[in-house]
Amino acid sequence: MTTDALGARREADAAVGLLVFLGATAMLFAALLLAYAVLRAQAPHWPPAGTPPLPRGLAGANTLLLAGASAALWRARRASPRGWRAAAGVLAAGFLIGQVVLWRHLAAVGLGARGQLPGQVFLALSALHALHVAAGLLVLLVSRRLRLVSLYWDFVLAVWVVLYVAVCWL
Amino acid sequence: MTAATTLADEPIPPAPTGFLRRHVFSTDHKVIGRQFLFLGLTFLAVGGIMAMLIRWQLARPGAPVPLVGKLFFASAGGVISPPAYTALFTMHGTIMIFFAVTPIVIGGFGNFLLPLLIGARDMAFPRLNMASFWTLAVATGLLCASFFVPLGPPQAGWTAYATLSTALGTPGAGQTLWVIAIYLNGASSVMGAVNYITTVLRLRAPGMSWLRLPLTVWGLFLTSILNALFVPVLGAAMVLLLFDRLFGTQFFVAGTTPGAGGDPILYQHLFWLFGHPEVYILILPAWGIIGDLLSFFARKPAFGYRVTVGALIGVVVLSSVVYGHHMFTTGLSPLLGESFMVLTMIISVPTSLLVLNWLGTLWRGAIRFNTPMLFCLGMVFTFGVGGLTGLYLADVVADIYLHDTYFVVGHFHLIMAAALLLSLFAATYFWYPKMFGRMLNERLGKLHFWLTFVPLNLVFIGQLIIGAQGMQRRLYDPSVYEAWRPLAGLNRGISHAAYLLGAAQLLFVWNFFMSLWRGRPAPPNPWEVGTLEWSVPSPPPHHNFDTIPVVVRGPHEMANPAAKPLGRDWLSQTELVEEPPR
Amino acid sequence: MAVAARNDAAVRIVLPRDISLDGHLVDRALGYLTVTTGIAFAVALGVMLAALILHRARAGRTWAQHTHGNRPRDRALTFAVALILFVGIDVTLAVRAKGDLEAHFWRYPDHDPTALRVEVMARQWAWSFRTAGPDGRFGTPDDVVTLNELDVPVGRPVYLKLRARDVVHSLYLPNFRFKIDAIPGSITRAWFQAVAPGRTEVGCAQHCGVGHNRMRGELVARDEGDYRAWLARAETESRLRFDAAAGSAADAWDWETGL
Repeated sequence: MTTDALGARREADAAVGLLVFLGATAMLFAALLLAYAVLRAQAPHWPPAGTPPLPRGLAGANTLLLAGASAALWRARRASPRGWRAAAGVLAAGFLIGQVVLWRHLAAVGLGARGQLPGQVFLALSALHALHVAAGLLVLLVSRRLRLVSLYWDFVLAVWVVLYVAVCWL
Repeated sequence: MTAATTLADEPIPPAPTGFLRRHVFSTDHKVIGRQFLFLGLTFLAVGGIMAMLIRWQLARPGAPVPLVGKLFFASAGGVISPPAYTALFTMHGTIMIFFAVTPIVIGGFGNFLLPLLIGARDMAFPRLNMASFWTLAVATGLLCASFFVPLGPPQAGWTAYATLSTALGTPGAGQTLWVIAIYLNGASSVMGAVNYITTVLRLRAPGMSWLRLPLTVWGLFLTSILNALFVPVLGAAMVLLLFDRLFGTQFFVAGTTPGAGGDPILYQHLFWLFGHPEVYILILPAWGIIGDLLSFFARKPAFGYRVTVGALIGVVVLSSVVYGHHMFTTGLSPLLGESFMVLTMIISVPTSLLVLNWLGTLWRGAIRFNTPMLFCLGMVFTFGVGGLTGLYLADVVADIYLHDTYFVVGHFHLIMAAALLLSLFAATYFWYPKMFGRMLNERLGKLHFWLTFVPLNLVFIGQLIIGAQGMQRRLYDPSVYEAWRPLAGLNRGISHAAYLLGAAQLLFVWNFFMSLWRGRPAPPNPWEVGTLEWSVPSPPPHHNFDTIPVVVRGPHEMANPAAKPLGRDWLSQTELVEEPPR
Repeated sequence: MAVAARNDAAVRIVLPRDISLDGHLVDRALGYLTVTTGIAFAVALGVMLAALILHRARAGRTWAQHTHGNRPRDRALTFAVALILFVGIDVTLAVRAKGDLEAHFWRYPDHDPTALRVEVMARQWAWSFRTAGPDGRFGTPDDVVTLNELDVPVGRPVYLKLRARDVVHSLYLPNFRFKIDAIPGSITRAWFQAVAPGRTEVGCAQHCGVGHNRMRGELVARDEGDYRAWLARAETESRLRFDAAAGSAADAWDWETGL
């Protein structure tokens, strides 16, 4: 087999592997969302009395950063990958910084780990999500399989959008 | 559909050099498989010793443990104290499930066999494979570390129900380390699942269609699907528990008014959503192995291959919707309770099809009673008993009484410890020649079988009886209850059988290590069987196959008339002969 | 003391003495399961042993039958046996269980004025049982509170609602085939009825920490007259001992609302 054909096969294998991994990760977040749904359904009132409002604006701004990173990778797949990859990396790092800012704000207003339940839910879900963003950032730095990296970031964005809407807006 | 057509001329990669690259940080699935196997067997022994200690306490509550008592329980004068006892059954369960059976069956045999059985040179992602092992090694280290922290090892049971498992119920680093170790163990499993699923989908040799796969491969493939889907649910439970323990959240801690705040039962839902598929994750490879081995030693094709595959898939699908049968006493709504009961009973249908097909394989065979076959037959027996006792627990009315008694303990041990253990031994005696290039001693093997099979049944059927009499599980000293004092004799008898069981395993350890150096050198195909791993030397070279094989028939072509002119009763999966029309 | 029991001596070799109204339904299910699974297992074992003996490899029998077991009649046989097992065991059990649960175990005596209502508070590592006293309200000074002893009359339903202070516990009455979890943050409920007087044991059936083993109590079932006499004494003592400042006063809740 030529190295090209072998490379193509290995890339296809990696795509299948990534899809399985994304399925597993989706189950992780689905289970966390299920926990959220159960706690919420059982609560007499939601949000519980005395809960400060969730920071929709701040979280929304972070969403735009993450969306930007995904978009940058779409462009990277078309042309001049180096530049657009770097842009994606910067935007992703910006998202992570933004999340840290967000968490500190939550703790300050009484929505931290020891605060009201909606804050706790948001914290746990967004923390686990942030770990996946951080891992994705590492992969972005080292991997050459741009198509698959871009797919991973699309997934990470989709999970974030679901989390954000489910916890902050519904 | 697969990349099979391009595999045929895949270049042979160079073999690694140097001790570290060949034996420690290897990407060769055969080496990684052996690493998983040794880690798993070591912890099987550790978990087994813990079981002996638990049985000692149940036989003679409060008596100092002989020999090792002063060593392990020094602060209590050689006696197992209540905290030590709870730590023992917690760690026994945790180790056996996550650090013994999973690494041995899925990591060990799965890794070693999968590429060989499908005709591939290695897994789809060899480096991910290596990472999977080392992640498990780190998890193991963390679990062991939990023994040495100030407040001691975890004590909430292997199920770690909230709120006992939160910082309120079990403070200290031990339980926290347990949570992290379980999470990492799960990560290792998911890595393995990604690898196995991709490998089976993409790297099957030309001609190796889905219906020509050995049942062992089906078992490993389906188990990997369950792993990928449901281990993450355990991960979610562990994340939330970790947050509760470390950061003061209250996902599983109830508020002061009913219904407000967190919910301990949420933990149970998440845990059993994982936990029930987990028991199928553990048994599916064994079902596959037994299906193949019964055929090989009965010298007859596996009976009802397609129905068996359908039944395995049926179990996988149903496994996700039966978990509530672990929670019948928690006050589930009647609708949920009845639904889970019915679904749990339905899952017994595909399971019974499996057993019926095993019997069909044996019927009109030409059965050879080598050691692997004895273990297979023992597995069928114990699985029969264990599986049928599951029906008792599926019935809500019976389960109200039997829940959390020794009946449950007997039930799951008959399947997880007896049937699964016997399958594991069958697999070891069968594939040891291929893995290590030597034959295990047959005489010792048969003795090992009988000294294992009989005590296994005495111990776990004994526990069924004790449970039916009503004794609860996880009791430090049953004699506190007047009602269980008459059971003291039975408890002691079970313990004696357990000691015999434990001692008998020394035969296996002796045979295993002695045969590595003094065993009869193994021919390529000592069992006269047609699957692909037997077409290469024992042990196989680094690249497995000189040329990728082309598969022309299924894995169980025993007693095929076309083999008669060749002077044998089996056909390999690759040889070209004139076969009479079906 | 000599006590009548619902199950006879022969069964009591395997199962505890049963002094409950509905426990025999559990025993009936267990009996049916044992008989049917026993027969199924014996038949399967017989087939297996027959195969191992008749169809073992030996001189003159070195070839097996070459069949893959996928002919229509093979599949028909397999499915037929599986179906017989399913209908004979599973379906029968499920139908019976549904009936038993809906007509007995889950038919809570909410509107039965003769039912004795008991609030159970489980904690590490003891059970406290509270009845409402003559005023019929929980959380008042005339409540009768007992520790690790459940006193019940014979012949009337005993209706329990359970809470837990710390971790999950499980109230277990082997002689009534009764078990229900007590969960922090929830209120669970169950009921039973004694049919004969006697003293039986109360246990915890959910691992709740290092003291799980010691969480044992006693159930004392008395004939109605004896029970009333006991109750009168207990109420007098409770009134004398009541202390509003004691922590245990907070262990009560309103039966209907849960607050």
